[in-house]
Amino acid sequence: MKGHLRQSHRDGAKVARRHRTRLVGMVAIGAAIITAAAACTPSTHASKPIASPGVTASGTITFWHFFTDRESAAIKGVVGDFEASHPNIKVIVKDGQDDDKMTQAIAAGGGPDVGLSYSTDIVGKFCQSGAWQDLTPYIKRDKVDLSQIPGPVLNYTQYNNKRCTMPFLNDAYGIYYNKTMFAAAGITEPPKTLDELTADAKKLTKFNPDGSIKVAGFDPSFGVYENSAAHFAPMTGAKWLTDDGKSAIGTDPAWQDLLNWQKSLVDWYGYNKLTKFNATFGDEFSAQNAFEAGKLAINMDGEWRIASIAADKSKVDYGVAPIPVSAARASTYGSGYITGNVIGISRGSKNPEAAWTFIKYLTTNTDAMVKLANGIKNVPTLTSALNSPNLSADANFKLFLQISANPATSTTPPSGAGTTYQDDMQAFVDKWQAGKVSNLGTGLTQVDSQINQALSIAG
Amino acid sequence: MTAVIVPADTTREPAPAKPRPSGPVGREGLLVFVARHAIAIAIIVCALAPVLFIVLTSFMSPQQSLSNHYWPTTWHFGNYVDVFRKLDMGRYLLNTLLYAILATGFMLISSVPAAYALSKLKWRGRNFVFLVVICMMLLPPQITTVPLYLWWANFHLTGTLWPLILPNLLGDAFSIFLLRQFMVTIPDEYLDAARVDGAGEWRTLLRVIIPMARPGIAATSMFMFFYCWNDYYGPYLYTSENRSNWTLSFALASFHGLHNVEWNLVMAAAVITVVPILVLFFFAQKAFVQGITLTGVKG
Amino acid sequence: MSATDASARPGPPRPRRRASQSPGQPQGQGSPRSQGSPSADGAGPVSPTGRAVRRRPSWRRTLRRYLTVGSFIGPALLGIAIFLIFPLGTALESSMHKFGILDAPGTWYGLGNYRYLLHDPFVHTAAWNTLWFCLIMVPAQLVTGLGSALLLTKMRSASSLYRTIFFLPALVPTVAGVLAFVYLLKPGVGPVDTLLGKVGIEGPLWFNSPSWSKPSLVLLAMWSIGNTMVIFLAALLDVPSSLYEAASIDGASAVRQFRHVTLPTISPVLLFTTVINIIATLCLFTEAAVAAAAASGAATVGGGAASNFGYPQESTLTYPLYIYQTGFPQNLLGYANALAIVLFVVTCAVLAVLLRRFRSFTEGAS
Repeated sequence: MKGHLRQSHRDGAKVARRHRTRLVGMVAIGAAIITAAAACTPSTHASKPIASPGVTASGTITFWHFFTDRESAAIKGVVGDFEASHPNIKVIVKDGQDDDKMTQAIAAGGGPDVGLSYSTDIVGKFCQSGAWQDLTPYIKRDKVDLSQIPGPVLNYTQYNNKRCTMPFLNDAYGIYYNKTMFAAAGITEPPKTLDELTADAKKLTKFNPDGSIKVAGFDPSFGVYENSAAHFAPMTGAKWLTDDGKSAIGTDPAWQDLLNWQKSLVDWYGYNKLTKFNATFGDEFSAQNAFEAGKLAINMDGEWRIASIAADKSKVDYGVAPIPVSAARASTYGSGYITGNVIGISRGSKNPEAAWTFIKYLTTNTDAMVKLANGIKNVPTLTSALNSPNLSADANFKLFLQISANPATSTTPPSGAGTTYQDDMQAFVDKWQAGKVSNLGTGLTQVDSQINQALSIAG
Repeated sequence: MTAVIVPADTTREPAPAKPRPSGPVGREGLLVFVARHAIAIAIIVCALAPVLFIVLTSFMSPQQSLSNHYWPTTWHFGNYVDVFRKLDMGRYLLNTLLYAILATGFMLISSVPAAYALSKLKWRGRNFVFLVVICMMLLPPQITTVPLYLWWANFHLTGTLWPLILPNLLGDAFSIFLLRQFMVTIPDEYLDAARVDGAGEWRTLLRVIIPMARPGIAATSMFMFFYCWNDYYGPYLYTSENRSNWTLSFALASFHGLHNVEWNLVMAAAVITVVPILVLFFFAQKAFVQGITLTGVKG
Repeated sequence: MSATDASARPGPPRPRRRASQSPGQPQGQGSPRSQGSPSADGAGPVSPTGRAVRRRPSWRRTLRRYLTVGSFIGPALLGIAIFLIFPLGTALESSMHKFGILDAPGTWYGLGNYRYLLHDPFVHTAAWNTLWFCLIMVPAQLVTGLGSALLLTKMRSASSLYRTIFFLPALVPTVAGVLAFVYLLKPGVGPVDTLLGKVGIEGPLWFNSPSWSKPSLVLLAMWSIGNTMVIFLAALLDVPSSLYEAASIDGASAVRQFRHVTLPTISPVLLFTTVINIIATLCLFTEAAVAAAAASGAATVGGGAASNFGYPQESTLTYPLYIYQTGFPQNLLGYANALAIVLFVVTCAVLAVLLRRFRSFTEGAS
């Protein structure tokens, strides 16, 4: 046995020597390959000058979007209209393409001529890297009137003064409330302030005999359905980034107000009880949605819920209202949060002129946008479309239109590091609501430094 | 390591084909018998319950698939038709078959000779290369994702399944490893005899080694086939932008809309994905088990 | 390199070669011809006319030998260069830049990404989660696989039916399996909790609880144990029954027989499956991602749900998930590459340690 050990020691030394030789060998090979690799990586394209005004675009372009099924059919309709009015341009449409796929394709030097993204998360990195072309020359050349686009919408379609996207449609958020439950509890109006929301929530909550929650007046838990720091931020007007792009979470007192309010409501229910309750929820985008199933009296949701409730044939008698705000910001009541869909031209596009013509049609032509909004049931991003009589909007949908157009409405600002700041904040608030954070101020400052560090290692 | 002398006859039929008790010998009573079968049945229940759930959900209506009722109130056999209609399942099936069969075939072409070189040929650096092969098995896919994706883009092959199929022409690390471990157990007498007869290495491989290595090759092929069939990450990376090239596994995961999910159809698609594999396994399990038995992972 | 290895190592007696060996071939135990003379040449140095052809230059023979070996191993070597060295090299280089996927190669950043890595709290969480899985999931898989294989060996009747059923879960596609488990383990209303409730036990929150989400994934892994089980089964059935009989004659109980006969005999297989499972656990991605997305109630299952990774509270955020999250949604590709390099180095170190102790792995080649 001993001999074997000594043997293995000698062998160990030999192995170690061999490992070192191997390491050197591998590094040498690696260095050789790196040079080759650098040669194989596609380089960024230099920007080409655009055509002079008055040029008629023609050719075939590809268009990727993320909608599917029924919504995809609506897009097809509008594309057909475009082709009819622009007979020289043919559009090939691909549906179900999300941000990841588009990013991959563009990075590989390909990608669609025109791409549509669900949210503003990519605006930062696409504008900064030139993945989507700068549209300013086209806008200037064709004298596009940007004043028809609501202010907040204009803000989220550009990054660092580079406008690489145009707004397509957006989703607006408000609260849905159960009229039956309100009547039973004697509440006549939806809550306008956070204090009212808290009071109503407590009144509307029902408990089971064993103490578990049967119906929640308002579920304040982060991470459930549409409840997130991003969507709650407009309640107190909390800012994400400072003007120079750094994290504002630790310095903006509005965050502390928001989180303290949220935690107090969580604690009233009991965090464990809430978690259990949340776990019983059906899928958000199914007929078993907790609000539709009568488990929630008040719920924050987007304008698509109107269409879902109709499609699911839910029996819930509901009303809609803007998101409640803190007492200090009572004058901003009527605003809210929007998620903007954005559209742009890939840097590898072979026919940017035709692509721009298509984008211009979709984003600045009032009738086209009205038709899109009617088909997809999202909110248009042109004031003219918002006010258009052709826009089929019942009273409920009109509210979301107003929210979208409200100048105090906000969204998550674009950033070069994508969703980092949202992810970091999400992790923090998850701990916060579970009671695992001792000092809120210190915690938020730490999140600040985390985000700023992450931003510093971004490209 | 305790050496187990491999008997000269490596083609013996492994005993597991016949039911026979094995393992430590001891006194057995009725109690032990009952206990064993009880545990076995408990394991069966645990193994089958999720499968049963998947199958039952595939027959439910969309509303019921999310409720607490676990037995379909009405049997929607039409779900399966829907799946073929809404999803291009036939095409995805073909794509998956193409991917699995070609990848396995290419793997065999490249990996069998490589395993032979690593087990039966003597050359400088052999152990080093073997360790490198093991390193390849360890490589986290996330490292290779981006550089390889961009590299394939140079050949305009992104959007197709070729980036997943073609690399197997240059060997698959896990398969090389398995095959090599297996070939190591083949006694050298056979090779020596062939060499004495004047056969070159390729001839030896083709005429002597491969027939003897059939079970190991079968097992390795099946591993590869299963892997390709269930592969999600690969097709996600390379074919997600091109629907006509999707595979079954990826289609299964993508079966959702932006604001809508139909779990009953998802589960029906899952069943469709599993059934061909089940059939294949049923027919091939003898070869599979035989190959595993004789694969020289014993060292 | 390799020839000296074989000569220095003591080992069990190998089957000796007979005189049928042709003169040109070495004994394989370290001959004076330290070049490790070829077995590839076939016939010895005797020409067809019977005259000794000693004057054939050895470099040509060596060349031919290398060409032959090259034809076998060449494609694999090329594969290694393209699919191992190249990505590794690129990843290493990329990890020293800061950039997103769209502006490759980005700006030089030296070791900045690595410095950030040391302070990143998410890395610690992710690394801990992956380590936790290695320490808990792998043994659980081994015990389940070995246990069920053992059980199968004891079955007298219908063993092949049992075997097929035990193996069945391994054939289910990962995504479907995860979704099924998330549903089955739904807190309060799922079948498992309902059953437990009938017995009076209040079930935990499973995938929705930070302390139970990882164990739930372990349960999922134990369910789909088919591959490992079959490998163990084969190994167990290969243990010669003579050994058992000898032991029982010596009066050893079943447990002792297991410890002293079964385990040592199947130890190479144990090592093999341990290594394979550790590798797979270090790369754990799909199950954790899909489970988090499904449990959090988000509709996007399988891709595009990076915002839900780690649900709840980063408890299921594995290291590979974090790599993906930083690389793509967060657009910190240089950093993601640094994370990946660290993972690779750690994996190699673990393997080196394991292999150093059990070099029987690379043994055995003739």
